Amino acid sequence: MTETAPAPLLALSNLSVTFRTVTGSVEAVRDLSFSLAKGETLAIVGESGSGKSVTARAIMGMLAPNARMSDESSVQFKESELTRYSDEEMQKLRGNSISMIFQEPLTSLNPVYRIGEQLGEIIATHRDLSKAAIKARVIELLREVHLPDPEARFAQYPHEMSGGQRQRVMIAMALANEPDLLIADEPTTALDVTVQAEILGLLKSLQKRHGMAMLLITHDLNVVRKMSERVVVMRHGQLVEQGDTAAIFANPQMSYTRHLIDSEPSGEPDPIAGDGEAVLQCHDLNVLYRIRHGGLFARRHLDIEAVKDVTLRLSHGETLGIVGESGSGKTTLGMNLVRLRTPTSGRIEFQGTPIERLTRSQMKPLRPRMQVVFQDPFSSLNPRMIVRQIIEEGLIVNGIGRTTAERLERVKAALADVKMPLSALDRFPHEFSGGQRQRLAIARAIALAPDFILLDEPTSALDLSIQAQIIELLRDLRRKHNLSYLFISHDLKVVRALCHNVMVMQNGRVVEAGPTAQVLERPKTEYTKRLVDAAFRIVSPA
Amino acid sequence: MKPISGNADQATGTQDLPERESLGYWALVWRRLRRNAYGMVGMIICAFVVLLAVFAGFIAPYSPENSDPDAIYTPPQVIRVLDENGSLTAPHVLPFTEEFDKQTYELIFAPDRSRPLKIRFFVEGDPWTLAGLTFDTHLIGTESGEHVHFLGTDSLGRDVLSRLIHGTRTTLMMGVLVMLASCVIGTSIGIASGYFGGMFDLVVQRLVEFVKSFPDLPLYLALVAVMPRRAEPIAVFLMFAVILVLLRWADLSREIRGKVISIRATEYVDAAIAVGAGDRRIIFRHILPNTSSHVIVWATYQLPEVILLESFLSFLGLGVQAPMVSWGTMLNQVRDFQSLNAAPWMLAPVAMIILSVLAFNAFGDGLRDAMDPYSND
Repeated sequence: MTETAPAPLLALSNLSVTFRTVTGSVEAVRDLSFSLAKGETLAIVGESGSGKSVTARAIMGMLAPNARMSDESSVQFKESELTRYSDEEMQKLRGNSISMIFQEPLTSLNPVYRIGEQLGEIIATHRDLSKAAIKARVIELLREVHLPDPEARFAQYPHEMSGGQRQRVMIAMALANEPDLLIADEPTTALDVTVQAEILGLLKSLQKRHGMAMLLITHDLNVVRKMSERVVVMRHGQLVEQGDTAAIFANPQMSYTRHLIDSEPSGEPDPIAGDGEAVLQCHDLNVLYRIRHGGLFARRHLDIEAVKDVTLRLSHGETLGIVGESGSGKTTLGMNLVRLRTPTSGRIEFQGTPIERLTRSQMKPLRPRMQVVFQDPFSSLNPRMIVRQIIEEGLIVNGIGRTTAERLERVKAALADVKMPLSALDRFPHEFSGGQRQRLAIARAIALAPDFILLDEPTSALDLSIQAQIIELLRDLRRKHNLSYLFISHDLKVVRALCHNVMVMQNGRVVEAGPTAQVLERPKTEYTKRLVDAAFRIVSPA
Repeated sequence: MKPISGNADQATGTQDLPERESLGYWALVWRRLRRNAYGMVGMIICAFVVLLAVFAGFIAPYSPENSDPDAIYTPPQVIRVLDENGSLTAPHVLPFTEEFDKQTYELIFAPDRSRPLKIRFFVEGDPWTLAGLTFDTHLIGTESGEHVHFLGTDSLGRDVLSRLIHGTRTTLMMGVLVMLASCVIGTSIGIASGYFGGMFDLVVQRLVEFVKSFPDLPLYLALVAVMPRRAEPIAVFLMFAVILVLLRWADLSREIRGKVISIRATEYVDAAIAVGAGDRRIIFRHILPNTSSHVIVWATYQLPEVILLESFLSFLGLGVQAPMVSWGTMLNQVRDFQSLNAAPWMLAPVAMIILSVLAFNAFGDGLRDAMDPYSND
């Protein structure tokens, strides 16, 4: 803290927040102190559970009922002590001189009110303006966040807008009363990569124009690098390091910061070890979803082409990446390829066996050879089973290992493969962190000794440093067991680190395919170029 | 469920787990429930009511049929610890002397101070059976064996307290029977309907709607019309239970169906299919355990409802038939104003109904909060 302004806008000192939970007290933030000058952007960076969101909520006076701030905690805003404010005083402050943007634009707008009403309400609560003046101000705000056709937006409902547009509305809401401090809690995490860049650009330009200070909470180091002047690194609720962004990135003082910076996915895949034989291929695969609409007597069908004429070939030992924005059909394609869904038409061949029309029981003998790891490690493990039962299930079902002891050996070997301790065996999934759960999900797949694993965004729900560990683990396992992967992702950085070849999908179609390096360096289509820009450049002009 | 610790940890990997007690789902539920005072009080009262029902024969001073022709409509007797002179003595009750008021034609009961009856515990009395064994020891009685009625007597001189305790058994048995049967039927139909879907689901859901649209009161009345006059009381009791079950499984099955549809779409079910698990395994290992908390909460809410319904219908004379005693049939005895006026203590079952309904609801609320997987406060 070498260049703090004489009277900082916001100063936190000795902030400690404790949560009372069933399993005991948890200290979410411990002795945190930092300050923020007028007009400055400060990023708080840390992994999930590091206490960064709790810090933001503590500043806003919006802590959960089971949270307690310690007596020494102090939050000074414009030189007045917020911890001593009454609820009413805080309410006057929120949305007025301090406002906040939340992570989830899909749920932070009220679905039953029009956009104009919701924005107008924020202004009306804090200012005494006429109806016409409020409407004019709302439209001005919508224009300011670059929403096309702001007059029409005024009367729209949230569901009529995309995620990115809704986040723009949220930003307009936050700006409505020209706050001195804007707290943005992971403002782009829930958005597609290409949208993410636009929103960040918008935030930056608005901040400059209004001279606001911004507290940006994120786990994404790229966002930090592009957006903030100073950075606070947090871990386990404590401050690890703070200082100028450029200085910290160039020369991190603490090993944890260095570790965070180093955990950007890097490296390249090993050369393909296999013999070039096809493990999985599909030809002209189509998946249609039929949506019924129209009235009872005028029923019509609308076919949505989730996957359209996709042909791919995955050879032994290869990792093929499938990338695209959400809704591009990449997960649907994956689920159909492993026959967890049934395609409408086309051919799928797994190790020479046509599988596109096999029933679930006909698929059973093939299952041990093809496995899946799902995106969300929190919903892919049955909460009522212990780890041992979860991993053992496939062995029991497929009659692998005759005795319990034999199966236990295999379960232990799988745990060792994913570098989890044996003490995990008797625990329930909720006792593990996201990264550990993903390891367990991988162990479940590995235990069956498959030849091929479908990885459906296995790292996108995880923190950056955990992501790097999982990628490293996947690389090791590929080498050790000679696996072929189909890797579904929206993150080109991860794809570059892991995949030999890549296939870009948009609206259910393959728009570009080829060796990873070639596609990333010389993208042929505008769409791929946008994805690449978003992944490696982050902030684009608003 | 202690974590296995040892050298293997260091040998195998980089991931550490905190050395702490491993808590399963139910252990967490119990922890959360224990912190909810209202729910815990409810649970304790529920346990007390259940104990009362199970050991009714022992706790009740007399058999519910034991009628004392000399003590008709006698008021409750109070345990006294002071004698005539106001000094402390052994706990006793005073018998009543009856007088006939020639002007109002009312019987007047006056305590007879000359003959205190000493209270004794573990006295011999009417035989009672539990699990096929016959006993004759009762928790409380008098030294001389003369009858004492802590809650007074009814029109036939039967002890209200004893009938109340034995009635708990009938009422609770009805509740538990209906609850268990509708849980089993509702859960299995709900799971089948939600999991298999298709035509079966369509038919079952229309059946559920039919059942739910059925006017239940006329059905209960029709039951009485259909039952032969001389039917065994136990047969009436069972028929009554069957009708209640038939009308109650539908709600649960619909709720479970919805739950199953959402569980079916979770990734852990997809993951089970991906390792090759069959329907049976998915239903019994993945879906059923994850609906259990819902079923349990539903069941605890069901019990008070059945208790209320039983007492209401028996009060109307439709439910449990004499000689079986339930809270409802006891209230049936005071349905005219004269008997209510003469013996207000016969309303004692009302207090029991209120107490147990409140207790079961409190327990159910506590359970529901404790089972919420998203709360960790």
